[in-house]
Amino acid sequence: MKIFLTDGSPCAFYTAVFDAFNERDCLITSKSNIQISLGSEIISTVYSKEKCERVLNGISKYEKDAEENILTVLRSCDPNKEQIAFAYIKKLMQVKAPIIKHMSLREVIDLNDIIYKVNGETHRLKGLLRFIETNGGVLYAPYSPDNNITDLLTKHFADRFCSERFVIHDIKRNIAGIYGGQNWTTCYAGEAEIQLSENEKAFENLWKKYYKAINISERPHEKQMKRSMPVRYWKFLPEKRDND
Amino acid sequence: MIDEEKLEILTESAKYDVSCSSSGSKRQNRKGGLGNGSAGGICHSFTPDGRCISLLKILMSNECIYDCEYCPNRRSADVKRARLTPDEICELVINFYKRNYIEGLFLSSAVFESPDKTMELLTETVSKLRNVYNFNGYIHLKGIPHADGGIVMKASKIADRMSYNVELPSEKSLKLLAPQKTKQSLLLPMKSLNEAIEYDKHNKIRRGKVLPAGQTTQMIIGASPEPDGQILKLTEALYRNMNLRRVYYSSYVPVVQSNKLPSVGAGLLREHRLYQADWLIRFYGFDVNEICAEDENLSQEYDPKCAWALRNMHLFPVEINNAPLETLLRVPGIGAKSAYKITEARRYARLDFDNLAKMRIVLKRAKHFITCKGKFYGSDCYAQVKNLLLLSGTNEISEQLTMFSEPSTAISAITGEI
Repeated sequence: MKIFLTDGSPCAFYTAVFDAFNERDCLITSKSNIQISLGSEIISTVYSKEKCERVLNGISKYEKDAEENILTVLRSCDPNKEQIAFAYIKKLMQVKAPIIKHMSLREVIDLNDIIYKVNGETHRLKGLLRFIETNGGVLYAPYSPDNNITDLLTKHFADRFCSERFVIHDIKRNIAGIYGGQNWTTCYAGEAEIQLSENEKAFENLWKKYYKAINISERPHEKQMKRSMPVRYWKFLPEKRDND
Repeated sequence: MIDEEKLEILTESAKYDVSCSSSGSKRQNRKGGLGNGSAGGICHSFTPDGRCISLLKILMSNECIYDCEYCPNRRSADVKRARLTPDEICELVINFYKRNYIEGLFLSSAVFESPDKTMELLTETVSKLRNVYNFNGYIHLKGIPHADGGIVMKASKIADRMSYNVELPSEKSLKLLAPQKTKQSLLLPMKSLNEAIEYDKHNKIRRGKVLPAGQTTQMIIGASPEPDGQILKLTEALYRNMNLRRVYYSSYVPVVQSNKLPSVGAGLLREHRLYQADWLIRFYGFDVNEICAEDENLSQEYDPKCAWALRNMHLFPVEINNAPLETLLRVPGIGAKSAYKITEARRYARLDFDNLAKMRIVLKRAKHFITCKGKFYGSDCYAQVKNLLLLSGTNEISEQLTMFSEPSTAISAITGEI
C-alpha cells in the first residue's frame, strides 16, 4: 500500500489526490505518527501548483461548493479527514454531477458528518469563547477547540468588534487570530503573558453573580446543560471555573 | 459600576421570563460601533436548569404598582427592591458584550410610578445604548401594558424584538390573577406593532426597520384551569393574527403563596407537550383541531404527533419514495431535518430501509408508519404498535425542549428552528 503524506495544507492535499488518483490501494494522511503495515511505502507529497489546480478545476466543474466543502473538512481533527475528502472526490469524478445532497451515499454521509461537526463547533464557540480585557485594552481569548477554526472565529469577531483590538489564541495548536482594528490575520503564537485591566476581575465577578442568579433551581436539568455546553469547554468559562 | 446586590435582585426577578432567543435579526455593525446581529441566534452559556443564556436578561426595576397574584414582584410582596439607571445598564451590557458573555440585552421592568414613565425610561435606555454607546447587538424589549402608543412606536424602531406577555390563557384568568392588566392593554399594542411591521414589509423598507426580529409572547401554564386545547387555540390565533415569531409557555412554579393559585406546579412534561404541539402547528402543517380538541388536554404518554397518527392509522403506511413532503412530516419520528434529507436523497436513488438507517433517520417509531420500496418493517397489530410507541417514548419524558439543542447551521433555517 502507498501512503501519501501531506503537511496538512489544502495545496499538498490536492497534489496528493492527483498522485494517488489512479492507485488501487492507497492512503492520504497528514498524520506523521501513522501505523505502518508491512510492505507499505511512504511518499512525501511535494507540492505542485499545476497538479493542485488540475484537481481543483476538476472538482469545481462538477460541484460548485466542492472546494469550500473540502476546506471545511481539512480543518477537522478527524484522523481520517483526508481519506474521507479523497473518497468524496473520487465519487464526484465518477458520478460527474453534484452529489453533496445525495444523502444515501456513504462518501457523502461521511463528508457531511465532518462538515457538520466543524461548522457546529464554530457556531458553538461563537457563543462560548470568552475574552479577557488586558491592561492595554486588547481583548484576549484563549481556547482549545477540537478543530482548526481560529480564522473562522477571527472573521466573525472582526465584524462584531470592529472598533476593538483582539487576539484569539488556540493554545492547542499554537495559532493566534489577531485583529488590530483594521484587518485580521492568523499567525503562529506560542505562549502569551497578559496583564488584566483594572476592571476585568470586577466584571468577571458580576458575570458569575448573574449566572448564579438567572438559574431556576426548582427545575434542574444538568444533562441538558452538559449536552449543550460540553465539559471540555468549561476551563475557559469564568462562570464554570469553581476554583476562584 | 453597578452594585452586585442590585444585579442579583433584578436578575432573580427577571429569570421567569422564558424567552431567550437572539435570532431573527441581521443588524449590521456601524463604523466605530460594537456588535451585530446573528440571524440564527447564538447561545453564550447554559445554566444548570438546562436553559441557554443568550441575552442579559434583567429588570430595570422591580418596584411595581401592580398586584398580579402569581408574580414574585407584586406590590404587596415583601421582597428587596432595586432600580437601575440607564447608564448602569448600558455600561453592563457593553462590558459583558465585549467579553462575549452575551449576545445582547433583554430589558424588562416592573411598572414603577406609571406605565408611561416606565416605558419612557426603558426606551431612553435602549436609545442611549444604540446612539451614545454605539451598540448594535441584539435588543429585546418588553412592552409595558397601558403605556402610551407613541413611546412604544419609538422603542420599536430601536429594538430588534418586542414582546407583550399575554400572561394567562384566558381573559377570565387574567381578571382573576392580574386584575390591573386587561386583555385590551396587551393585545392592542401587539396589533399596532404588527401593523407597523407589516407596513415596512409591504413598502420594502430596509433601513431602520421596525422590530426586525418581530414579536413574541409568553403565558403561564397551570396557574389557571384552561385545558391544552384552549391554550393551543389561542396560540394559533396569535400566530395567525399577530404574526408572532414565538409563543413561549412557562410551566407554573409555586413560588408565591396565594389561595387563588394552585399549590403544585404544572410540571415540565405538560410544557414540553405544548411546545411539541406548537412546533406541529408552525412547521409541520398541522391544524390545531387535528392535534387536540378545545376542551381536552394533550396526551401525556404520547407526543402529539404520535397521538394523532394513532388516531389516524388508516392514512398509514406511506411509501417513503413518493410520499409528498407534507405527508412525510406527519410520520411519527420523522422530523423536519429527516424529511428534508429524504426528499433530497430520493431524487438521486430510490431509498430502502438500510439507506434510511445509514442516513440516520430515526426509525424506532417511523417504521410502523412507512414502507420502503413497498416493503413494510413495522408491526401490523395496532395494540402492539401502541405499546412499542409508548416504550420508545419513555426516554423523552424527562427531556426539556430548548431552542438550540444542536448548533444551528444553514439547514436549521429551512427546518424552522429559528
